[in-house]
Amino acid sequence: MSEPANTGATPPIEPPRVWFWRGVRAGVMSVQGLVLFAGFIGFGGLIRDIGFPLGAALLSTIFVWALPAQLLIVGGFAAGSPAPVIALAVGLSSVRFFPIVASIMPMIRGKSGLGTQLFASHFVAVSAWVESIRLVPALPVYARMPFFLGLSNYFLWGSVVTTVIGYLLAGTLPQALANGLVFLTPISFLLQLIRNSRDLVDWLALVLGLALTPVFAQFGGSFDLLWIGAIGGGAAYVIGRRLRARA
Amino acid sequence: MSFSDPMLYAYLLVILAGFLPTDVFRFAAVLFSRRIDEDSEVLILVRAVATALLAGVIARIVLFPTGDLAGVPLWIRLSSIAAGVAGYFLIKRSVLAGVIVAEIVIIGGAVYFR
Repeated sequence: MSEPANTGATPPIEPPRVWFWRGVRAGVMSVQGLVLFAGFIGFGGLIRDIGFPLGAALLSTIFVWALPAQLLIVGGFAAGSPAPVIALAVGLSSVRFFPIVASIMPMIRGKSGLGTQLFASHFVAVSAWVESIRLVPALPVYARMPFFLGLSNYFLWGSVVTTVIGYLLAGTLPQALANGLVFLTPISFLLQLIRNSRDLVDWLALVLGLALTPVFAQFGGSFDLLWIGAIGGGAAYVIGRRLRARA
Repeated sequence: MSFSDPMLYAYLLVILAGFLPTDVFRFAAVLFSRRIDEDSEVLILVRAVATALLAGVIARIVLFPTGDLAGVPLWIRLSSIAAGVAGYFLIKRSVLAGVIVAEIVIIGGAVYFR
């Protein structure tokens, strides 16, 4: 059953449109999607709280499509950080897409051309990656790209809608619920970082990043996030390697 | 239409400081995806830096909130995070479960203690 190729009967080739909508359906069924949308409801609440324009926030969901980077943008905007510093911080946080995209693209690209792959890479974010890694290997190779585009487009446009919902809710909800919405962002991210932490270096980076924040918030100036990243991440790498070499 | 207009500035920020420095890595990853080893040393270091930086973003929202959240006492914010992490580990490592537990604590705390 799991190896239809052995039967000698080739299943009929279905058009990409069919696989696109199967990808959408997989997204609708996904718990990961719910957490993602909850994060963007929180993001919508956060930007209202900060005074970041809704249009620019929606543009960031469509064109940046990375909640950590979007948080750096609106957080930097709120803190008055210089634009080059924000760009550098965003670049540093988005470096993580390099291995993420590089690891998923060979699985989904099939026979698609470079243009299609570049277009598809924009839709790769942590949520779509997690679900694709799980679901795509069972699909025929020709079906993977349209399936991925369906899944990831559902995630992206659903996040656009939930950003708006979060923004609107933040204005009308009781104060305590509004606080809860804003809080969705840090807690869902923290838990996703915990879930994604596989080895010692990841764990150390997470703990050091959290622990260094109160220190650098005092005297790190507008570069505090970069210091936290460079020192926390660098120390995590060195300590993690040392301990692993010793073990 | 001046650069110092904060609203226009936000749009410019999204494209120049958001879209460009993010998708440059997505596009580069496509071009190099055949040669990339996800376990290489440089990528482990880079991922650690990104993780620590993101942890800093999280901690800053919790410890030094900018908006209305600042009215919720610090100990409630920290309790909510602790409860969320505990909920995550106790309830089948479910992110959704951890988020719900944390939300119950922060909303309940905001109702009774702010």
